[in-house]
Amino acid sequence: MKAAAFNYARAASVDEAVQMLVRGGGGAKLLAGGQSLLPALNLRLMSLDLLVDITGIAALRGIRVEGGTLKIGAMTRHADLLTSPEIAAHAPLLAKAIAHVAHPAIRNRGTIGGNLAHADPASELPACMLALGATLVIQGPSGQRRVQAADFFLGLYQTALAPDEILIAIELPALASGERAFFHEYARRMGDYAIVGLAAQGKPAGDRIDALRLVYFGVGERAGSCPAAARILQQRHSPAILAEAQAALAADLQPQNDHQASAAMRLHLARTLLARCVNELLGRAEASA
Amino acid sequence: MTMQAIGKPHSRVDGRAKVTGGARYAAEFNQPDQLYAVVVGSTVGLGRILRIDAGAVAQMPGVRAVISHLNAPRLAYQPHKGGTDPANGERLHVLQDDQVRFYGQPVAVIVADSLDHAERAAAALAVSYAGETPVVDPLDAKVQPVAPQAGRAGADRSRGDADAAFAAAPVTVEASFDMARENHTPMEPHATIAAWSGDRLTLWSKSQFVVNEQAEIAAIFGMPAANVQVICPFVGGGFGTSLRTWPHVTLAAIAARQVGRPVKLVLTRRQMFHTTGHRPRTLQRVALGATTDGRLTSLIHEGSGETSRYEQFVEALTSTSGFMYSCPNVRTRYRLLPMDTGTPTFMRGPGEASGMYAVESAIDELSYKLGIDPVELRRRNEPAIDEAEKLPFSSRSLMQCYALGAERFGWASRDPRPRAMRDGRLLIGWGVASASYPCFFSPASARVRLLADGSAEVEAASSDMGPGTYTSMTQVAAETLSLPLDKVRFSLGRSDFPATPSHGGSQTMSSVGSAVRAACLAVQAELAKRAVADRRSQLFGASIDSVEWREGRLSRKGDAAAGPSYSELVTGAGGSPVEAGASAARDAAIAKQYSMHAFGAVFVEVSVDPDLGLVRLRRAVGAYGAGRIVNPKLATSQCIGGMVGGLGMALMERTALDPRDGRPVNAHMGDYLVPVNLDVPHLEAHFVEEQDPHVNPLGVKGLGEVALVGMAPAIANAVFHATGKRVRELPIRIENLLDV
Ligand SMILES: Cc1cc2nc3c(=O)[nH]c(=O)nc-3n(C[C@H](O)[C@H](O)[C@H](O)COP(=O)(O)OP(=O)(O)OC[C@H]3O[C@@H](n4cnc5c(N)ncnc54)[C@H](O)[C@@H]3O)c2cc1C
Repeated sequence: MKAAAFNYARAASVDEAVQMLVRGGGGAKLLAGGQSLLPALNLRLMSLDLLVDITGIAALRGIRVEGGTLKIGAMTRHADLLTSPEIAAHAPLLAKAIAHVAHPAIRNRGTIGGNLAHADPASELPACMLALGATLVIQGPSGQRRVQAADFFLGLYQTALAPDEILIAIELPALASGERAFFHEYARRMGDYAIVGLAAQGKPAGDRIDALRLVYFGVGERAGSCPAAARILQQRHSPAILAEAQAALAADLQPQNDHQASAAMRLHLARTLLARCVNELLGRAEASA
Repeated sequence: MTMQAIGKPHSRVDGRAKVTGGARYAAEFNQPDQLYAVVVGSTVGLGRILRIDAGAVAQMPGVRAVISHLNAPRLAYQPHKGGTDPANGERLHVLQDDQVRFYGQPVAVIVADSLDHAERAAAALAVSYAGETPVVDPLDAKVQPVAPQAGRAGADRSRGDADAAFAAAPVTVEASFDMARENHTPMEPHATIAAWSGDRLTLWSKSQFVVNEQAEIAAIFGMPAANVQVICPFVGGGFGTSLRTWPHVTLAAIAARQVGRPVKLVLTRRQMFHTTGHRPRTLQRVALGATTDGRLTSLIHEGSGETSRYEQFVEALTSTSGFMYSCPNVRTRYRLLPMDTGTPTFMRGPGEASGMYAVESAIDELSYKLGIDPVELRRRNEPAIDEAEKLPFSSRSLMQCYALGAERFGWASRDPRPRAMRDGRLLIGWGVASASYPCFFSPASARVRLLADGSAEVEAASSDMGPGTYTSMTQVAAETLSLPLDKVRFSLGRSDFPATPSHGGSQTMSSVGSAVRAACLAVQAELAKRAVADRRSQLFGASIDSVEWREGRLSRKGDAAAGPSYSELVTGAGGSPVEAGASAARDAAIAKQYSMHAFGAVFVEVSVDPDLGLVRLRRAVGAYGAGRIVNPKLATSQCIGGMVGGLGMALMERTALDPRDGRPVNAHMGDYLVPVNLDVPHLEAHFVEEQDPHVNPLGVKGLGEVALVGMAPAIANAVFHATGKRVRELPIRIENLLDV
């Protein structure tokens, strides 16, 4: 299939792109890597009046470290994140996660901003943003605003972005000393969206884990933080504590039933991943479940 | 010049055309003034069409015709049974009545001046139905199994008393298996461009069987076959889905006639899950009895497979069970499960792949019960002859395959205990299974023309869906004529070329190859006959028996001096091409003397993540006894492709139907899982030396199907070895291993 006809404009700056979106009045959409937008257009799951191409805005691309903050331009491609020494050093969680995002051909085009704006519940990156406590920098007709990741992802493909706003950058606190990251996902076929995945970061302290953020993806309508389970795991590790945290996932998550997997299986896999995560963060040899 | 074209790893002669876009596929034969057709499929799974609001859609931009049973021509649908059609039942008569027999059945076709307009109108066409709930699950209590009416497969067979022997056996295994429905999902979609010129019809149409498509469309329209021409030089993957002529071909022809212009019709990926066949879901039971030292005393194999209500699709589900093992008491039984679905069709290894999954899994279970290595168990039950037919095998190298495969795989270092082998936290499993597929050889013809420049043109209807027919036939002709490869041009894919059987059943190399060889010999004979009769020739007057072809030159027997070349002879005779055709077919007497099959042994290693139930194939070695290997490079690639197909069958492929209406819910490449590169590890194919003078003049057995058969049971057996858990369902999914 082919996309329905639309107009195309190439923006030279963020300001110009915002103006185009304003004029487009809801019928305009940004084109970043096109790896989610173009399939949706071609499959005619959506149509639009104006495509605003922001791929030429060089200012939106790049990775910088400023003080304790990692700043990533929204148009930075997945492939750039994967090979970036800054990301590897200061956001190892993101480095691990990116390797699971699609295939090289798609990573060569897809961007972090497009991925987050798309807000696919099975995507790795929104979960990483929540686990890392990211701040999203947004520009609209009335200037810039900053939104915490926790307030950005609202639901299935839903974000806090207004139709005339552009996500311009992502700010991540750099990995603090003592912090460790865990990432694992399960897909039936390599490179596919996960049925269940877990992005986590925390500070192991003896046999407790402080400041733990557990975020599942592929489970429920958006990336799901699990504060209840994380709170339990702040206690000294024991099989009983782990079991309690695993049980708490039932309250934290709302797994869906679909033809890929049943809700019960998703919850089971989520619990298994939690055990693996705790063991890995605590540096414990893992006993098989 | 000593020619040796056969047996060399030549690269594909059409490879460059394929990678540069020069190869033209059905949908690329755009015609001047062409219009576009889009099929509208039923949105209920069973019932009757009540109303079609064609009026509104006919007014939409660009729409030229809205064709449904309300206004479609009544077609002749004369009796026609091609070799790939079910022997019993009647094909779907498209747009001939208001009945809906399965979800997605074509109920209308829109013709418009662009694809966009046609798609838009197709989406807008309102069709209302009196819908009923279809039966689409073989486990549904409403399904009534039926015995296949006299078809190709003699399915219910018995020797000895298998049930009594089973009851008396000291060691037994009894198990039931459920294999999912699969769709072929080739890369190239089904596509037809139809153009009428008066009462003559040309179809550029994706087909693995152009001569049948010609005959069938002629029968459907009630016209002479000579008035239909089918053209298909390239097939972008088939796996069996383009063996039959499905309704969309007829629809394209109806549409083109209605609008009086060429019409192009391409099925969407989703539509390919509706009306272009599938591997039927099968339910099977295997019961084995054995002595404590591992001699089989009883083998019972019962199976059933889905079919439609209007045709009986019969496959070879139980047909290898009679000859794979030496066993005095064997009983097989095969039933069909008619349901409200489109008719299934042949898919790579049709029947054998499913049936051998069940039996090879059961044999593996038996090996653990007996405490005998699974390779050794097969050795102990290796038959001397085909005990079902009571005939010797023309050749059978199964044990050599096991020896070669075991050596290349390193089978000797296997720890036989389940869950004993590990790599870190991963459980490792090694599994093995046998493969077999019959050596078919159907009547085929070919034509050869020798040109004045010394080159040869070879033609046969045939097809090349990927195995490399272009290359292998070029090799056969080059070898037979003692010409370099680049002096031979082989063409295929036209129904006016000499007739050949379906490009399925692993019989193209044997059948078409034998015909090409025969035609090359015939053209040499023709040229020799002319040479000795031609005053201008230096061999004028020689008796035909006193000359022979040596390395492409016609020479006097016993005379070391080389005689004239093709070019000299053709030029000398005036320069116009010399042509001859010939046919080849299996000697009926041979067919009664030998049981003819290819065999293989497949070894695999899997890893299983014990917590996640995640199975990954880590490596596989297939060893095959397939007669003479015409081109080791192509053969290896074909085997690897088959192994990937078996991997999909074992771990991924499954068409899921909505129980309410029979809609395939995962009818696209995102959700119908076929392995991607990252899922495919190192795969090795090896061939044992095998000379079989009986199967056909070339001694080739065919590889396409045997390469897929055996892979799925080997993986299932490896999963058991890794986990200690026997999964009797395909594909094996994490649900099966985790019990959730
Ligand atoms: C086969 C395949 C497999 C994939 N697998 C995965 C996977 O496993 N995991 C995964 O996470 N993703 C996967 N993806 C999606 C991929 O990561 C995309 O790159 C990503 O989702 C979208 O990024 P993009 O830059 O291509 O955005 P686009 O497709 O260009 O845009 C996506 C949406 O975001 C909007 N948008 C883009 N940029 C901005 C911005 N700066 N501000 C506001 N709105 C914006 C667009 O208007 C559009 O609505 C897959 C894609 C394909 C085709």
